[in-house]
Amino acid sequence: MPRPVAQMVTFTLNGQEVTAPENAILADAALEHGNVEIPVFCYEPKIGGPVGACRMCLVEIEGIPKLQAGCSVPVKDGMVVHTDTPRVREAQEAVLEFILVNHPLDCPVCDKGGECPLQDKSFGWGDGISRFVEPKRHFEKPLALSPLIAIDRERCILCYRCVRFSQEVSEDHQLVLQERGAHAFVATFDGHPYVAPFSGNIIELCPVGALTSQPYRFRARPWDIEQSGSICTLCPAQCNVSFTVRDDRVLRVLQRDHEGVDDGWLCDKGRFAYQAIHVDERITQPLLRDGGELRPVTWELALETAAAALGRGRGRTAALAGGAATNEEGWLLQGLLRDSLDSADIDSRAGGTLPLDLHQALGAPALQASVPDLEFAHAVLVLGTEPVDDAPVLDLRLRKGVRRHGLQLFTATSRPSALDERAVLAVRYAPGAEAAFVAALDAALTGADVAGPAAAAGADADAVRALADGLRAAGEDIVVLWGERVCSGAAGADAARGLLNVAARLGLEGRDGAGLLGVPDGANGRGLREVGVLPNAAPGLAAPDTDGRDAAGIAAALAAGELTGVYLLRTDPLVDLADTPLWERALEKATTVIAHASFLTPGIAEHATVVFPAESHAEKEGTVVHPDGRLQRLRPAIGRQGETRPEWQVLAELRRALGNDERLLTCSMVTARMLESIPFYAGLTLDTIGADGTRWTERPQGAAAPAGAAAPFDLPAPAPAASPNGRLRLGTFRSIWASPEVGASPALKFLHPRQRVELAPGDAERLGVRHGSPVTVACDGRSVTGIAHVRASAPEGSVFLETAIAADSAAELDGPLVEVRPA
Amino acid sequence: MTWTPGPDQIEVVGGPSKAGGAGGLYRAFGETLRGLKTTFMQATEGVTTVQYPEEKIPVYPRFRGRHRLHTFEDTGLEKCVGCSLCAAACPSDCIRVVAAENTPENRVSAGERYAAVYEINLSRCIFCGYCEIACPFDAITMGHDYEMSDYNRSDLIFTKEMLLAEPLERTPLRAEGE
Repeated sequence: MPRPVAQMVTFTLNGQEVTAPENAILADAALEHGNVEIPVFCYEPKIGGPVGACRMCLVEIEGIPKLQAGCSVPVKDGMVVHTDTPRVREAQEAVLEFILVNHPLDCPVCDKGGECPLQDKSFGWGDGISRFVEPKRHFEKPLALSPLIAIDRERCILCYRCVRFSQEVSEDHQLVLQERGAHAFVATFDGHPYVAPFSGNIIELCPVGALTSQPYRFRARPWDIEQSGSICTLCPAQCNVSFTVRDDRVLRVLQRDHEGVDDGWLCDKGRFAYQAIHVDERITQPLLRDGGELRPVTWELALETAAAALGRGRGRTAALAGGAATNEEGWLLQGLLRDSLDSADIDSRAGGTLPLDLHQALGAPALQASVPDLEFAHAVLVLGTEPVDDAPVLDLRLRKGVRRHGLQLFTATSRPSALDERAVLAVRYAPGAEAAFVAALDAALTGADVAGPAAAAGADADAVRALADGLRAAGEDIVVLWGERVCSGAAGADAARGLLNVAARLGLEGRDGAGLLGVPDGANGRGLREVGVLPNAAPGLAAPDTDGRDAAGIAAALAAGELTGVYLLRTDPLVDLADTPLWERALEKATTVIAHASFLTPGIAEHATVVFPAESHAEKEGTVVHPDGRLQRLRPAIGRQGETRPEWQVLAELRRALGNDERLLTCSMVTARMLESIPFYAGLTLDTIGADGTRWTERPQGAAAPAGAAAPFDLPAPAPAASPNGRLRLGTFRSIWASPEVGASPALKFLHPRQRVELAPGDAERLGVRHGSPVTVACDGRSVTGIAHVRASAPEGSVFLETAIAADSAAELDGPLVEVRPA
Repeated sequence: MTWTPGPDQIEVVGGPSKAGGAGGLYRAFGETLRGLKTTFMQATEGVTTVQYPEEKIPVYPRFRGRHRLHTFEDTGLEKCVGCSLCAAACPSDCIRVVAAENTPENRVSAGERYAAVYEINLSRCIFCGYCEIACPFDAITMGHDYEMSDYNRSDLIFTKEMLLAEPLERTPLRAEGE
């Protein structure tokens, strides 16, 4: 549903005229528009509507004989409200006294002490004296609700916030209130630990110290710490975060509510993977391969060796940038390669590149949907992406749209999605058949023959027709949330053309509240593309002088000896990219492998010749681009650990050593140079980007972006998906937990994935595989082992394996068909 | 305009306009002797100087000297739970507390948490006693010791062990009613 337009009304608050939107909740309106705080505990607009559980917000409204809960009353015109009469004060004092009846008052021991809403409310509205002398309710404490969260049930005031979060926001339905009355307590229904991708949010929601963070337990007090705002670059969602810093160490990550990005939620990876900043495994000094082993060396020696090796490999060096690289680093890297090393072989996209005009068309400002559009659209089609894995916080946004704004959700993925249960219609297609599926959808939207392309995609033609009809019937504001994997691989260009066709058929271009929203593989995938880290695009998505090789081409050329060196900026091809066997040969053959890395992942540990320590996201400075075109600014929260130097500085020094005389002394100088080199960023500065970021697609200068190819295109007949014929089609997915940061964080380690082989119950029975048993997946003489995970919703004929894990990754296998057998 | 003195004007009494004569002689010797009488009378009263550091003046019970941390007499556990309220109250920001969690194997304090690090920088401390007032468990009190000079500034950072240790009784305490 489109955003409701609020009408302003006037009401009287403590004798003052206050103007506020009609039907706004009184507690919100009083604080925002009348500067009067009505104390609340259970009410939190982020979670949903009011429940009126705590009764703390009682106010007097003229014309209503009894006191009313300020968190449940919508503002109406001419309403007369009193929040400071003796009657209201007495009621609030009495409620607080009741709330404190069973509260243990162990503030000196409690982690919430000093930042506790209950302390604040007791101080502001309480009587100061308790008349309760009887023994208080006692529970065993502290108890681990999960390895990440400690629960102290004595402190709980039963506001239901955490339970409502679990039931209505993340919809994992794990937390419940057990027992009744004074004996009620929060727990999971079956007593299992509360493990969910968003569980950490309940720590921040709890208005008392009942739910506290295990990793932050007893680490610091509010007066010991400083908050430092930045951006989390662990996934493309780029949530705005605030780092809690004490003694130059990050101790905690809190949300920094940004309606246009994260809506005030964080996933557990973003919330707890900060621990990887302060672990011993992290690389904090330059390493040089000496006698087959990586040894720590001085920066001077490492830079000298790297510059000399790059100089020798002039014209035969390639570069790959991982998603965590900033725009500045990407811009410097492509400059280093194109200008100083006479090479055009640079890539940041795992799935191969698209023709430049398609990159331009997919990124065109008129076609971009924003993140809030996901919530307020008439319909959203989730195409080829699993939000909870690829950009977790978008999953919550879609659920919010469905629950609160009547959004019609459609999913079209090869692997069953967590959002299927909330979708009007979920359509499956064969893994790797994205291009055929998009062609089928395009055909269904134009009324052409659907059966052919649908059969090629391994999808049900009727379901595709129903999807097209559903999208057409839902309304005009339609957002297509598509994953980068849709437009990758051999048929990637056809899929991109099909996607642009679909957008054109649905009239998404130039419409506010509608459009495409592409989720890239890398956190800053969009930014890296725009600053020219593509083989066929210069900064600003302009055509470069010469086109280079893409990631797969680089691997083949390295293996064939046509290239001799490769520069790996925060990426490990053996973990992040497909076709591990080819990359192993390529890195083996390469004489120079220069890497920026935080952890010794397999490719770095075995093949890198020079390793520069990489900054963590809390130490980084620069800018990144959100998938919806929002430039956001990273600010360093702590000093760089060990001998780590900024990556832009390393790249700038290598540039100088290789003959570029331009002096870049600070990161803001690089930012300024980068911004002025891109026409559609014109006029942006670090100040205009600011704390909330700026969507360049909304600025008038954004019109300078190249328009690219114009839809509609004629699509070729798609190649049919491989027929299983006894074997299974190989699909891959990247888990939210598949990142070296998760593996290195002591608190998150238990979630670090091992290979999980997802298959349908029918296939499992036929192959003699039981849920939880080890299986071998083989293809062309290579095999990986994993634990079988039989999913009722998985489509027959397909098997899904994890990529981006260090051992037994699906990237080992070539596909498209694999054999699965019990190990 | 001329100034007219108000009713509160004070007439300045000057000295004798002329010196000499018997009055002058009295002023020269008589008044001097009268002053010396006070001086010589003091000589008979004995010594008031305290020979510090051999001798010390007893301090009052509420004297605010260097801090002490306390343990429970029965269990031997530390009273401090590491809540950091003293650090919050400290106006000169000289207290640093890093808390940790008690485990069954390593029980340090009575509550869930204890102070793993408790440091007071006595070169910054102004001995205001706010930490003592802030402490919810009476774990920190101001002692009576004021002899804390040292040769090295870093030695003035008192650690938890130093603050917990029974101090040398170097300062006599004034008895009741003294």
